[in-house]
Amino acid sequence: MVGGVYISYPFCAQKCTYCNFASGVFPREMEPRYLAALRREIQQHEWQWRPKTVYLGGGTPSLMDPGELGALLDLIPGRPWSEATMEAAPGTLTAELARGWRECGINRVSLGVQSFVRSEIARTGRRHTAEIVAADVALLRECGIENINIDLIAGLAGQSAASWEESLEWIERLAPPHVSVYMFEIDEDSRLGSEVLLNGRRYGAPEVPCEDLTVELYEAAVERLRSLGILRYEISNFAGPGWESKHNLKYWRLEPYAGFGADAHSFDGARRWQNVETAAEYVERERPAAEATLANLEEEKFFVGLRLADGVAPTAEEWRRYDEPLSRFLREGLIERRGAAVRLTDRGVLLSNEVFQEFLGK
Amino acid sequence: MDPKFIRNFSIIAHIDHGKSTLADRLLEVTGALSQREMMEQVLDSMDLERERGITIKAHAVRLNYRADDGNLYQLNLIDTPGHVDFTYEVSRSLQACEGALLVVDASQGVEAQTLANTYLALHHNLEIIPVINKIDLPAAEPERIREQIEQVIGLPADDALLVSAKQGIGIHETLEAIVKRVPPPPGSVDAPLRALIFDSWFDPYRGVIILTRVMEGRLHLHEKIRLWSNHQVYEIEGLGYQAPKATPSEELSAGEVGFIFANIKTVSDAKIGDTITDAENPAAEPLPGFEEVKPMVFAGLYPVESHEHGLLRDALEKLRLNDSAFSFEPENSVALGFGFRCGFLGLLHLEIVQERLEREFNIDLITTAPGVRYRITTTRDEVIEVDNPTKFPNPTDIKQIEEPIINATVITREEYLGGILALVEEKRGVQKKFEHIGSGRVLLEYELPLNEIVLDFYDRLKSASRGYASLDYHFAGYRVSPMVKLDVLVAGEPVDALTIIVHKDFAYERGKVLIERMRKLIPRQMFEVALQAAIGNKIVARENIPAMRKNVLAKCYGGDITRKRKLLEKQKEGKKRMKRVGRVEIPQEAFLAVLRVSGDESE
Repeated sequence: MVGGVYISYPFCAQKCTYCNFASGVFPREMEPRYLAALRREIQQHEWQWRPKTVYLGGGTPSLMDPGELGALLDLIPGRPWSEATMEAAPGTLTAELARGWRECGINRVSLGVQSFVRSEIARTGRRHTAEIVAADVALLRECGIENINIDLIAGLAGQSAASWEESLEWIERLAPPHVSVYMFEIDEDSRLGSEVLLNGRRYGAPEVPCEDLTVELYEAAVERLRSLGILRYEISNFAGPGWESKHNLKYWRLEPYAGFGADAHSFDGARRWQNVETAAEYVERERPAAEATLANLEEEKFFVGLRLADGVAPTAEEWRRYDEPLSRFLREGLIERRGAAVRLTDRGVLLSNEVFQEFLGK
Repeated sequence: MDPKFIRNFSIIAHIDHGKSTLADRLLEVTGALSQREMMEQVLDSMDLERERGITIKAHAVRLNYRADDGNLYQLNLIDTPGHVDFTYEVSRSLQACEGALLVVDASQGVEAQTLANTYLALHHNLEIIPVINKIDLPAAEPERIREQIEQVIGLPADDALLVSAKQGIGIHETLEAIVKRVPPPPGSVDAPLRALIFDSWFDPYRGVIILTRVMEGRLHLHEKIRLWSNHQVYEIEGLGYQAPKATPSEELSAGEVGFIFANIKTVSDAKIGDTITDAENPAAEPLPGFEEVKPMVFAGLYPVESHEHGLLRDALEKLRLNDSAFSFEPENSVALGFGFRCGFLGLLHLEIVQERLEREFNIDLITTAPGVRYRITTTRDEVIEVDNPTKFPNPTDIKQIEEPIINATVITREEYLGGILALVEEKRGVQKKFEHIGSGRVLLEYELPLNEIVLDFYDRLKSASRGYASLDYHFAGYRVSPMVKLDVLVAGEPVDALTIIVHKDFAYERGKVLIERMRKLIPRQMFEVALQAAIGNKIVARENIPAMRKNVLAKCYGGDITRKRKLLEKQKEGKKRMKRVGRVEIPQEAFLAVLRVSGDESE
């Protein structure tokens, strides 16, 4: 069995307005205690498999001191990993930092760009510009990190078809091998979302695109990226052939992963568990994980697996059990057959929750 | 007891004008209750009150009072329900009395409900004793209120009692006034038995318990009695009075008030206003004023979960054991499945029943918009009554439609007059009276279609007057009106549960507003949904709900599968609470959208 390791570093210079990370920004004074707790958790872990991939997510793990980072990664078996990703905020990179990452095994960087349009970036609370991102990409390449992801968000305040086009043009210009496109969700979990719900004016809330426009932006991205040879392999993830994120694929393929740190999730192939949500709780706890629950793999096969462009192959028994929803979705054009597998159509991707629901509680 | 020493009275008051406090005080002063027992009494009756949903506290309490003249008097305090839905019950309670205390708040003045009940009492020839309560309050203006009573009600009020029930001021004077001013009951003890049923309820151990006032003759234990309206004979198994605890007794004689039970199975057998007489030696005539109470307001009640249909039927049957005013019959809706067409005295009554079904029987309900019963003359000169909009005949078969009309009395402050006049005009009201009753207050009398009242009149009146308007109404008969059936089509299919009857002149506007509201309430579906309002084959309004574009989780962190599952489960659960009509999921709120189809779009 091969697995992935997720390490959560929930510290940021500031909280972005679209951010829905439950725990938010924690005071940096907490960082030393947090890192100590993190090291302890990793040390205490009993490895059932040898990690193949590592993912440092956040927060902004690129802010971590290189020495601390090295000490942390030394605790993870399996180096050199086939993929080790660092999430990074544009504008905080230096050649020294990037080389340091390389040296401790990082071979992939995910840049939280979200938008290349100045006015849109400003309203999220970020400080970078398109030029800074371009410089970061160049710097990473110089330092030998080719495997770069750029995050984009469709649905940010002030976005229009034209401004989105600008961001997509930058993608073309920078040609990262991997792009993630998220759709901004209007809910109470983010400051911008609550502002929209309360009809407020902060963060550009009145200019958040409507549902239909967000959909159009997403569709435009799918098209544009496809023309660049960056293909959708999961609802939000796009890559050139061979550049798919090995770590993230483990989530959708129901392969095991071990999560460390606040709000990290783990799956051992049969059971799932979750660490306490906030850094404050995490540093206090002897055992950060809640009770594990048995995963319902029969259901997950569909509502997780169908997120992938390859879809899933139902067994004969599953064709019978899910005959009603499957034939209805085929008829309605939400899913399509491809060999032995079924997968979401373009329309089905956008309405995927409607599809997934039918595989629960059958 | 010698009727000479009996006084039967009730208390007429607007909500919050101090009826309960005064009643408590009378009980306390006459020693019916100690201070400590008062608490218990309050708690006990609160339970019962909650159970019945209306005022029944101290419903018919016997008080023993040694008056200043040295004699011991039996005072029977008969409390009445305090809502316009229950006017008939009030009138029967008043019929059991010879006098009434008219309690008016010393700073608030006369309200519509008080006025209506006072007229009812005058109609029954009751001696009315005005009581100006809360005179201890700084805002009290007893002199102004005295004038108002004279002016508005037309009742001499120079001998009005000045009372503060809360402070215990004027309680003795009140008791003396009851003894001196309320006449003793007139009926003869030796005449054949005639006793008035003025309330009844179902007790699971004893069957129906009847509250009665013996008008003539005597009622005694084990007597064979006959109920006038259904000719049934029963044997009295128990008899007594409330003091306020139920106290068994051997006999109730002319003038006295008490309870009996006689193994009667349902309250519909012991109708309020009916006459009890002796089975062997019956009276020649029943007591006057008996009416079969007829439901005035109708609505469809449907279980959200269709398999709960049987449960709902059982629950309705149980409720009916205790509430004969409410009726139900099976009804079948294409949209909502199997349910019941239920009839109620009014909107409060509807709410009480609805709430009890949901709370006590744990049934999730969809209630269709309340409507009224129309009298339709067909082209073949048949007269039919229709209370279900979907059962309206084809327009070509209708010669004329008559709708129920009420006489409404509204008392309000002058500053809210503009809004209220606009409201009653909009509700097709015809002004009958407009009177300044002093202190900046106005009394309005309007003839209004009941159908307009059951839509959203209360809420609108409340907001137009910021709560400073009181309303009372009485059924006044039928009037020919050009009513039409307005259908709602969802995705081309008529949704019968959304059909309403509206006045022809308002049909377009109502259709438009209704469809707009529904567009906001029905979530986007997987396909475009057309909403239409139609009169016959003519579409009068149309809106489209565009197809759902997106329902997808496209957010950053992949590892949290549990959270994704929870979100999907929540969405799925939400759908379960909707009703599927054809291919469209309609939330429950949409069925009530019809309730708010006029004017006010503020919220």
